[in-house]
Amino acid sequence: MHHNSISIQNLSFTYPDGTQALRQITLHIRATERVALVGANGSGKSTLLQHLNGILPQQEGAIVIGQYTMQPENIKAIRNFVGLVFQNPDDQLFMPTVREDVCFGPLNQNIQDEALHDRYHQAMSAVALDPHHYGDRHPNHLSGGEKKRVAIAGVLAMQPQVLVFDEPSAQLDPRSRRQLIDLLRNLPLTQLIATHDLDLALDLCDRTIVLHQGQIVRDAPTVEVLADTAFLEQHCLESPASYRRPYCLLADRPSCPQPHPRHLVPYS
Amino acid sequence: MVLLHIPVVRLDVDRQRFTVWHALSSPTRVLCVLLMLLAIALTPNGHWATWAVYGMGIVAVLGLSRVTWPVLLQRLVVESAFVGVVLLGTLFRPEGAVLWRWGPLQVTTVGVLVLASVSIKALLSLLLLNLLTLTTSVPDLLQALLVLRVPPLLVAILASMYRYLEVLIAEFVAMKRAAIARNLMGQRRWQRLVIGNMIGSLFIRTFDRGERIHQAMLARGYQGLTPVVTQPIVSGRRDVLALTVTLLLALCGQAIYLDF
Repeated sequence: MHHNSISIQNLSFTYPDGTQALRQITLHIRATERVALVGANGSGKSTLLQHLNGILPQQEGAIVIGQYTMQPENIKAIRNFVGLVFQNPDDQLFMPTVREDVCFGPLNQNIQDEALHDRYHQAMSAVALDPHHYGDRHPNHLSGGEKKRVAIAGVLAMQPQVLVFDEPSAQLDPRSRRQLIDLLRNLPLTQLIATHDLDLALDLCDRTIVLHQGQIVRDAPTVEVLADTAFLEQHCLESPASYRRPYCLLADRPSCPQPHPRHLVPYS
Repeated sequence: MVLLHIPVVRLDVDRQRFTVWHALSSPTRVLCVLLMLLAIALTPNGHWATWAVYGMGIVAVLGLSRVTWPVLLQRLVVESAFVGVVLLGTLFRPEGAVLWRWGPLQVTTVGVLVLASVSIKALLSLLLLNLLTLTTSVPDLLQALLVLRVPPLLVAILASMYRYLEVLIAEFVAMKRAAIARNLMGQRRWQRLVIGNMIGSLFIRTFDRGERIHQAMLARGYQGLTPVVTQPIVSGRRDVLALTVTLLLALCGQAIYLDF
């Protein structure tokens, strides 16, 4: 285990069409830390995530993942070290059956036979899916929540040390979302979660990084960031629903003819 | 739109049976079918006895594997419609005694002989291929192709076609539904134009999706070569026996017309 799982120094990236997606990003993520990456659409979250796995070439700056610097000769090791879970499971589940899909990563690591079988079973158990029942199923015939779990199993089967999620709770129903949150909470890995779901960030992550137009504008404890309503609004975000529930704020309480005794008003 | 009315077809309706045929490994099944196809296709025109022997063999295997006959016949009818168009071209030939003539078209004895021969070859081949697809799931077939050393890239392309066909149909249906929800009715010409645009945007989306899938593959350590699980081609005694019987049947059929 390394002290810093991810270290990025002055990373900048410009797309071929001239859009500058990242500007001078510097961040360090410690081992087993769970960090939320939030920001408006087009703020550079996905671009940043794709750098962590060497999918986008590094233009400027330095990235160190574990003990590996981002160099062509280290790409294979880095991809084994960092597991990337994409937003749309349909893009990630590309093999004809669930078993083949989960085994895709381990097979690329030259794992065969018994060891491959073990990896498959461990990964499916980690996401609480029955390996026998789901093995021969077509990924298209799974529900959204199941697809997401299989996608995560496919990444876990590679035994990475860092998990990177792009919008993990998008398109999930409340129960699947809750199960996903519980699953992520119980995975003892370094996690970087890019999300618009600020409640999820609040539930899971102690630290939040806010991106705005390709720059880090805030890197602080989640509770502190999400409580700063003015700051969030300024960067096209808003405080999580759990902060805005009626009755939680004094301003939202229903008007009553008789004022409540002071000790009954919550959070006054 | 014809495309919208095609229900999702389950190809391998007879996969879950316990027969001698089902006990064979999928590479063996593919090899047996390939061997028979080769023997059927290489028999010269007009050797009915040979095809009769092969036909009996095929019917025996069909009976043995307990395929659902109505489904098999249904599929044969649909497939014959496509094959029939190609076959019709073999009927009209210049050589041989003329049986019927209408303008530039003439049917000759040779034409009839070729048509009958090719039709029988097509029918037997279709029966075999349907037997294979009815009893073997697509993932198993793809795995069998890999075991039989078909280039992995080709198999990977086939696998993604199988994986994404339904996704593409679903995307198209969703687009069409969205268009109808905003009152896509009116003139036929306008409808055709809109559907043309949909197909265009489906193409672009597919292109984008391909890019994202490639990224997802790279993220899981893909380096340009699809990983292959190494398996022996023929595993059990049963498989060896099945291949031997197929080979003998093929040779028997050929021996009928060959003079030694």
